[in-house]
Amino acid sequence: MLGADSIRRGRLQARTFRSTFPVRRAPLPLLLAGGAVAGLAVLPLAYLVIRALGADPASLDLVLRPRTAVVAASTVALALLVGAGTIALGVPLAWLTTRTDLPGRRAWAVLTVVPLAIPSYVTGFAFLATFGPRGALQSILAPLGVERIPSFGGLFGATLVLVLVSYPYVVLATRAGIARTDPAVEDAARLLGDRRTTVFRRVTLPILAPAIAAGALLAVLYALSDFGAVSLLQFDSFSRAIYVQYRASFDRSLAAILSLMLVGMTFAVAWGESRVRWRAGAYAGTSRSSRRPPTNVPLGRWRWPAVAFCAGVVGLALVVPAGTIAWWLVRGVGQGEPVRVVVDAAVNSFLAGGGAALGAVMLALPVALLVARYPSRTASVIETATYTGYALPGIVVALAVVFLATTTVPFLYQTLALLVIAYAVRFLPQAVGTVRAAAVGIGPRVEEAGRTLGDGPLRAFARLTLPLLRPALIAGGALVFLTTVKELPLALLLGPIGFDTLATEIWDASSEGFYTRAAGPAAVLLVLSAATVAVLLRNEEGAR
Amino acid sequence: MSSGHAITPPAVRIRDLARHYGALRAVDGLDLDVMPTEMLTVLGPSGCGKTTMLRLIAGLEAPDAGTIEIGGRRVAGAGAAVPPERRRVGMVFQDFALFPHLSVRDNIAYGLRRDPDRGVRVRELLELIDLVDAAAHMPYQLSGGMQQRVALARALAPRPDVVLLDEPFSNLDAALRTQLRGDVREILRAAGTAAIFVTHDQDEALTLGDRMAVMVRGRVEQCAPPEVVYGEPATPFVATFVGIANLIHADCHGQLATTRLGTVRLVGPRDARTEGRALVVIRPEHLDIAEAPDGPADAGSWRVLRRRFAGTEILYEVAAPDGERLWVEAGPGVRRLRVGDSVLLRLRQVETVAFAARHAGDGQATSDREPAHAAEQRVSPIKGD
Repeated sequence: MLGADSIRRGRLQARTFRSTFPVRRAPLPLLLAGGAVAGLAVLPLAYLVIRALGADPASLDLVLRPRTAVVAASTVALALLVGAGTIALGVPLAWLTTRTDLPGRRAWAVLTVVPLAIPSYVTGFAFLATFGPRGALQSILAPLGVERIPSFGGLFGATLVLVLVSYPYVVLATRAGIARTDPAVEDAARLLGDRRTTVFRRVTLPILAPAIAAGALLAVLYALSDFGAVSLLQFDSFSRAIYVQYRASFDRSLAAILSLMLVGMTFAVAWGESRVRWRAGAYAGTSRSSRRPPTNVPLGRWRWPAVAFCAGVVGLALVVPAGTIAWWLVRGVGQGEPVRVVVDAAVNSFLAGGGAALGAVMLALPVALLVARYPSRTASVIETATYTGYALPGIVVALAVVFLATTTVPFLYQTLALLVIAYAVRFLPQAVGTVRAAAVGIGPRVEEAGRTLGDGPLRAFARLTLPLLRPALIAGGALVFLTTVKELPLALLLGPIGFDTLATEIWDASSEGFYTRAAGPAAVLLVLSAATVAVLLRNEEGAR
Repeated sequence: MSSGHAITPPAVRIRDLARHYGALRAVDGLDLDVMPTEMLTVLGPSGCGKTTMLRLIAGLEAPDAGTIEIGGRRVAGAGAAVPPERRRVGMVFQDFALFPHLSVRDNIAYGLRRDPDRGVRVRELLELIDLVDAAAHMPYQLSGGMQQRVALARALAPRPDVVLLDEPFSNLDAALRTQLRGDVREILRAAGTAAIFVTHDQDEALTLGDRMAVMVRGRVEQCAPPEVVYGEPATPFVATFVGIANLIHADCHGQLATTRLGTVRLVGPRDARTEGRALVVIRPEHLDIAEAPDGPADAGSWRVLRRRFAGTEILYEVAAPDGERLWVEAGPGVRRLRVGDSVLLRLRQVETVAFAARHAGDGQATSDREPAHAAEQRVSPIKGD
């Protein structure tokens, strides 16, 4: 979901492009290739629907069981709490880092969005390993005679962890909203007789409301789709219930039905998000040429409380995970925890990630070229189809691929090849977005120049467009690689037997309380998360 | 406009106002009075402090020195610092700054929260701006011109003592601008509110204002009815900034000034500096131009340097053998002249003003205050091209 903004921006550029260049018909091979990729992308969802339709009618009663209702209610509660929590943290942080004289404002502006790159199960593990049974806190308190501390987990734990990894969505969306708003509207409101505080309530907040809501709904989507944190903290939202159902029962249709219920919920939220995002766009100021830069609000005696607030959030979202991981890492090394395990897991993760990056870039190329060069209704449909796997919760995609493979291509089931293909399809939009933006930027003229100088169409593409696209292909691949390495549910359900990745190691070890064993892989992932942020920031700059 | 209501205090009274940003003196010793129901336009080059002045009046910025009174009430300076919300000032912003989350009706009603008759007032204003049918529309559904009118209605709604308009047409296209100019003038007339209209477009300033103030470097150079500013500019800067002006040397004695082209009468208040060697303002329409009779070119005759078509009339830049250059206007009756033609100039019987020349006998037209700027203005007679 990270990088969705740059993907959208690419989409917008494609549209502008359409209006300035005459549209030609796409060559058939390109159209066929794009269509094939789109087909591959919608396959899991299509199969899931077929599977659910084919369920034993008796098992449909299971949908109406009280247990299902409890899961649904838990999921809604989690979604609401995460939405509220991310707004409570994200809106003040966005305002403090854009419109005030907060000390160290630029540094806070970056630090407050970094947690978005950390996988939820890493933060989940960190909190479990700090506050959970046999966690750091208990082992510190044990000599003082404290035998038990309240267990960490459930709705509270899951909410806390998910808010801490997804509040940056609200920060980013609110900041964008602030940047789009003409500061003169606040001046106008004051001249019409309102005090500063009233202006905030009557003008500033209502104008920003759609942007804030869009950010919060992205966070809610994240919470609905999340598997890692809820399963580690043993909170029965849909994701975990689907997994438990899949592991425990022979009738996997029920898991399919639960999956479709979750998909329905996420689509409803995604629809709401697109609605409020439209409104946020409509509220954007028209021209910014003559706009005065906003004056920063002096915080006065609220300066240091504001810094404390930023430090508190960043402390919980960044310092606690990093600190906990370091603490257990040091203990693990002291206890002779084998380094081999980490190396093996890292090799497996990088293998899967590298394969996925290569696959995604290859699949993305025809789609990106089709959309950038030959925009048409068909091209839009193909492009939208490639988002299917990305829009679905990971656990649902994993389950659908398992169903599909066991019934149609059993020889692929539990092979590295299948895992890599699944990843490539799931994270396809990240590659499509990056490559398409670059393809639009290059335009068809360069290749046409090559044609006039004697190159055939393929040769001109290979000699000119492809080398020009190279930075984008690498950036898109890097993004897919980093996302794949951090991914959990697909690795868990589709990985070959004995194929442990960094993600599954952390999940296995910390669900069983072996925190020293989880610390090594978690440290590697934390470093990779930082790399993700760096790649994304570079992409954002490149898009400008 | 300024007559009749001797007891009524000015809508706005500014004395010795200053606002500095570090070394930049955005507003620097500014005096200005705006009468009730008067429309005052403020013209100046960009960066002359026009917008800063408006923001100081509105209370969006605090002055470093000087005082501002609105409706006879001290709002800034000498201990007073009335916040913007209690100044009774309306403002129309450059980008309109409509509230994007409120309908047209709610935008206009925004400042009428405590007014029990706000429904009636909003209806009145909707009729005034002729947007009754669009009352429920959202700002993003309106054209630029409609947004402009809503912004004006919103500012007028709470019946402010003065409305400030900050280059309100600068983001609209030329055709719309001309139409809205008339609309805005009528709306403000009907509302009977004093207004300060800031612009860098001299047509706007000349046609809209009851009086116009020419501003440069943070102060008001001249404030008078537009025809006075044009006919009797107070400084060489005003002369060359508003319209096209040739500054030519003259010997002044009493009310008569003798130039190389003939004699003109001097008007307006003059101080001792204009006695003797001086510069007089000769507008292009003060001169008649005609083709010189055939024959060997007279050594003393003027030649056409270039030509500019400006609608009904044509402007010619002509040069004398000694290098002096002048802009001359030729009406539709004059035969077309070509570059290089020898021409004769004749000075009409006009009244104009004179400024003291810094260096008597200097070949170039210079003045005591704005030599560089005046020279620059002379080579580019049509503003904005």
